[in-house]
Order: sequence, then C-alpha cells, then structure tokens
Amino acid sequence: MDPDLSAPHSMGTTIIGVTYDGGVVLGADSRTSTGMYVANRASDKITQLTDNVYVCRSGSAADSQILSDYVRYFLNQHTIQLGQPATVKVAANLVRLFSYQNKNMLQTGLIIGGWDKYEGGQIYSVPLGGTVLKQPFTIGGSGSSYLYGFFDQAWKDGMSKDEAEKLVVKAVSLAIARDGASGGVVRTVTINAEGATRNFYSGDSLPLWHEELEPRNSLLDILVSGASPEPMSI
Amino acid sequence: MEKARVDLPPKGGFSFDLCRRNEMLTKKGLQLPGFRKTGTTIVGLIFEDGVILGADTRATEGPIVADKNCEKIHYMAPNIYCCGAGTAADTEAVTDMVSSQLQLHRYATRRESRVITALTLLKSHLFSYQGHVSAALVLGGVDITGPHLHTVYPHGSTDTLPFATMGSGSLAAMAVFESKYKEGLTREDGIQLVGEAICSGIFNDLGSGSNVDVCVITKGKTDYLRNHQLPNPRTYISSRGYSFDRGHTEVLSTKITPLKLKAEVVENDAMEE
Amino acid sequence: MSSIGTGYDLSVTTFSPDGRVFQIEYAAKAVDNSGTVVGIKCKDGIVLGVEKLIPSKMLLAGSNRRIHSVHKHAGMAVAGLAADGRQIVARAKSEATNYERIYGEPIPVKELADRVASYVHLCTLYWWLRPFGCGVILGGYDRDGPQLYMIEPSGVSYRYFGTAIGKGRQAAKTEIEKLKLSDMTCKQGIIEVAKIIYGIHDEAKDKAFELELSWICEDSNRQHQKVIFKHNKTLLILFVWKEINTLF
Repeated sequence: MDPDLSAPHSMGTTIIGVTYDGGVVLGADSRTSTGMYVANRASDKITQLTDNVYVCRSGSAADSQILSDYVRYFLNQHTIQLGQPATVKVAANLVRLFSYQNKNMLQTGLIIGGWDKYEGGQIYSVPLGGTVLKQPFTIGGSGSSYLYGFFDQAWKDGMSKDEAEKLVVKAVSLAIARDGASGGVVRTVTINAEGATRNFYSGDSLPLWHEELEPRNSLLDILVSGASPEPMSI
Repeated sequence: MEKARVDLPPKGGFSFDLCRRNEMLTKKGLQLPGFRKTGTTIVGLIFEDGVILGADTRATEGPIVADKNCEKIHYMAPNIYCCGAGTAADTEAVTDMVSSQLQLHRYATRRESRVITALTLLKSHLFSYQGHVSAALVLGGVDITGPHLHTVYPHGSTDTLPFATMGSGSLAAMAVFESKYKEGLTREDGIQLVGEAICSGIFNDLGSGSNVDVCVITKGKTDYLRNHQLPNPRTYISSRGYSFDRGHTEVLSTKITPLKLKAEVVENDAMEE
Repeated sequence: MSSIGTGYDLSVTTFSPDGRVFQIEYAAKAVDNSGTVVGIKCKDGIVLGVEKLIPSKMLLAGSNRRIHSVHKHAGMAVAGLAADGRQIVARAKSEATNYERIYGEPIPVKELADRVASYVHLCTLYWWLRPFGCGVILGGYDRDGPQLYMIEPSGVSYRYFGTAIGKGRQAAKTEIEKLKLSDMTCKQGIIEVAKIIYGIHDEAKDKAFELELSWICEDSNRQHQKVIFKHNKTLLILFVWKEINTLF
C-alpha cells in the first residue's frame, strides 16, 4: 500500500458546532492525514479567532490555517478599532468573504462558533463555495455523513451545557468509529458569557460502539488474562 | 486534487500558468528533467531542556545516490535549526531565505529570533507557491518562550508536536518514536532515540542512507553533531589499503614538455598610497 | 482679522507663527454664516432639524435638501456649503456600505463618525485641496443605542447630547440646554427642535426659510426617516403634531 506522502496535507475530519441554552459547544476529532498516512494523530482543529470566537477547520490543512490566520488578523484589528469584542457574526462574515473571494484557490469548510453580548451563542457554517449559514447546530467534514440522522434524532432545543457537550463528544466518537479519515482524540471548546473552556477526551476514554473492543496494549494481554484458549491448542 | 479552473483577471502574486502548462505537457508524455531530491529521514523531538533534530545524509537523483554525506539540518538562527526533505534546491533556498530574513529581523529588533517567526515566514512562503516549492520541514528551536517543534508541509500547513518525523523514511522513524518516546527525556536518551529513529530510516527506507546528523538545541547553547553516527563506513579488503609495485602498469609512450617562463617577479618599491 | 495681509492665510499647509491654520478657521466661518442646524439625542432616539434658508421664492419647496440619509440607521444634517456637504454624505454612504460588506453588520455610529472625520481632516492636509466649508451633525442608532456626533471642517468630531451649528447656534444651544433630554421622547423632541428653529429665526432680518426635520427612533423602527410637514407659521405646532400622528 502506498501511503502517498506527497499528497496534500488534509483533514478528513469530523467537526461539530452546537448551540445550547447560553452558549455553544464546538467539537472535533484530531486526525490529520496525507493520503493514507496519519501525519498527526493529536492535531487541534479548533482554532481560536478571538477571546469569544473559535473556528472548527476541515479540508486542506494549509488552506484552513491560512484562512483562519487572516480572519484572526482582521478580527484583531476590528476589535482594536471598535474598542470592544468582535461579534460572532462579524467573524462569520469575514470567513465568508475570504472563502467566497478565493473560492477557486481554497478547499476548506469551516464552522464558526462563539458568544457575544448582543446575540448570545451562535453557530455559523461556511462550506466550500463561501456561503454562510446560521444554524442552531451544524456538522462538517467527512465524518459528518455518518451523523446527520443521529443529530436529527438527538439534538434538542434548549439543552444545558453538559447535555450539549455530552452530545458533541458522543457524536464525534460515533463518527470516529465509522469514518476512517477521522480518529484520535475528541477536543471540545465551550463558549458562553463566562468565556471559553477547552476540553480533551483521550481515545481510550471514549464510549465503545458496536463490535468495538476494549483498548489493549498488546494482543498478548488477551492470552495472559486467560480469557481465551491457548493459541496452539487446536 | 482537481480544482475548478476559471480564468480570472490576474490579481498579482505568483502566476501558476507555466505550472499548468507543464502539467499538461507531462500528461501528453513529455519527460521533464528530474530534480535532486532528498529521499530522506528527518526527525525532531522535545526533551527535558530543549529540542533535538536528526537527519540522514543521503541525497538521491532518481535511483542514483547523488551525495553520500550531505547536510539536511539547516541553520535558521543560532537558536533555531530546520531539517529539510523534498527537493534539495527548494529546502536549501527556502531555509536560506528565511534565515536571512530572521537575521535582518534580529538586527532590527535586537532580540533573539522566535521559532514561531520562522514558522510563519516559512508557511506563508510555501502557501503562496501552492505546493510547487516542495519543501517538507521539521523546524525546531528554543526561544524566550521555551522549546518548540513544528512540521511544515509543502502546501504551507503546519503542525505543533512533541515529536515529529518527515520524508520518505518518516514511517520507519515514527514507528521508533511511537514506541519509545516519553515526556522529559534526558539529553543522552534523546540523542540516542533520535539516532535510533534515523537509523530505522537509513536501514529500512531506500531513499535514506549513510550517516546520522544530530543537532541539540538547548537554552543558550546549540550543538551541531555532524556525522554523530556512521553506521555505513566504507569497508576495505585490506585495512592498510592497496599498494602496487612499480611496473604494474605498462608505459606505452612518454612525452616531456619543458615549461616556459611566462611571468617574472620584479622587486619594486612599496606601493605608494 | 489679524490674519489678513500676513500671507499665512493663503494655504492650508502653512501654519501662522502662533500655530494656527487660517484656512481652516475661514472654512469654519462658512459654517457659522449658514442656516442653523440642530441635533438632539432623546431617550429613544435622535432628532435632526435644519433651518434651510430659501435664496429665491422661485425655488421649489423641498429641493436642496440639507438632511440626508447615510445608511438605514444613520442620517446627516449639513450646515455651510451644501455642495461640500454632499461630498461628505457620499463618503459617509460609501463608508457605511463598505463596512457592512466586509463585516456583515451595520456600521457603528462611532466608527462612521470617525471615518467621516478622517475624511474631512484629510482635506486639511494637502496644498492642492481646500477644507470643506461645512460642518455636519451625524445621528445614528446602533446596537449600543442612539448617538449624536458633530464634525467640524477641521476634522474633529465630538459626541453630544444636543448641539447646534450655523448662524443661530448660540441661541439654539441655550435652548437645548434647557431641555430635559434624558426624559424626552423623540415625539416630544421633534416639537422642541421645531420650536427652537422657529424661535431663533429673525423674521425681520433673515431670509425666508423652510424647516427640515428627521429622526431615528424606536417608533421609526430605528431607521432614519425624514419628517415632512406643511409649512404654516401660525399653525406650526398643530401641523407637526398632526404629521407625527398620521405617520403611525
């Protein structure tokens, strides 16, 4: 199997943004791959734009990093000019503007989430073409195809912070279980009036889904535990 | 990666027209001349007081080993070094360029360079060339904010990691790191592990070979250990080398040409100013 | 007029020895001679009023407007050279739309005032330009509430509860100071503005005038709206009231 290391560095991804009563939760897996090779198994796809706005990145790693760098720069300038924090809407509109103006050059879809004192917690998604959609929740990346039905069923209006965070972690772990391009750990950011809180759920702390096995360091452990018959006894 | 190609009026910046032309010509069967590529193993890790970088020393041109002992750990600043994989010319050019920008920045600011500065300069250059500058880098250094290790991909994306590998031997080297890396390694253990990872590339990857270069960067001190390990020494049948008796080679003809005096040195007074 | 004849008053790029730029002061004179412009901030919005002097009886009523809409939520009243004012209004409009294009939300009034003031100031920096012969009062309503700014030909801008520029500014300001602006609604405020402008107009001495009014308040859905009314000096108050009530 050719791992094709010269392939562009991209993020087969699961990214999620969910609003709840009083704020938002963003979630992402941590796998970055070049072709078939996992180039980074603990990457951070949730990037800070301002104190109160974060973005989940998917698609080409280079494109999404540059795009969020530009947006962060413009938001910093805007914050200084206005003398108060930028709103989530402004961040989303800047992402939209750059995504649209450079749509021929960029292969990236972003989810912008944050909190501001005017409109509270908001989630915006900016998919490939450079349109902006304000949604109560949104999912993105290759892993999202496994989650649409789940979210239609599991998302409820007016969830609490803990409910929302549990939902996000559960959803990302489901996508990790089924999507080969998603994996590693689950990272979340919760943003509300108090500020932003980062969380991290290591791979072996995630729930086990259908036919998944307990994590083990070595298959030999199974033998040592005596749970199965001697390998050569047949 | 197929992208929508719409003809837009030029907006400035690098023109990719010729890249597209070349792509089209290769599709039609034109053989482009090859570049000297460093089929490479390069690695880096963070240890208790800094960063250790490592690289093999083989440069290849297709199936040919073009240089058996090249240098792949490039100087960026006294406290920052950078391992390069990909096209040798590109890694050399891009690291040279950024290191001179860092030098000028140090003159202007009178402060030690930061790793994040080097990283930003590298990634913005590589991004602007959309992957056509094929440099895959492991950037490491120690600055006022502590030790840093990053990987930079040709398209301009970057990662921040406690241990990293790059190049064709990166899988072999990563296997070593993944099984043996721990947080807070000592200097000796760190150098040992980097050496092992590079050797894993040298012995298991066709593109990598020859010797191990190591660079240890700590706060205020950098040790560049050129040819730290020589796992592939040249072997001779005779330890003393070979000697041949006079007359082993037949003399077919002899011609002696006397040299003519072409120039003469004239003593003179000291030059006046 | 200590400046005349000294030669220091011919260029905007030359200071006088005592540190003044006379051309800017002359521009301010053009504002001082114009019809009075009044702006007040009430508790629920902004009211702008202009005493528009009519140079000729042949002029069509309602032409040569001095109050302009800059954006949905902001309006500008001009004192001084009306043509210069239109340049400022055009710039303000483009700044407002440009801001919204980039940031996706309406421009904050403070930011608009800053940008317009920078533009006005820019014209005092080059020898091939002349300063604007007009001052503007900018009113707007953004997410932080109603705000009122005045921008002078020098390019400075100040935020006010209420202010006036033009010929009758002193009298008008004295009247504004007597108002309880923080308790006043725009419905009450617009009457006061009309009263002030009628009050300071000297029937015997001044030219005929037309009253222009506009507001931005909760009742106008936070949008800048011109308040039109028929002009009849004896029945003024009644008419304004009637107009206001028919608006809703």
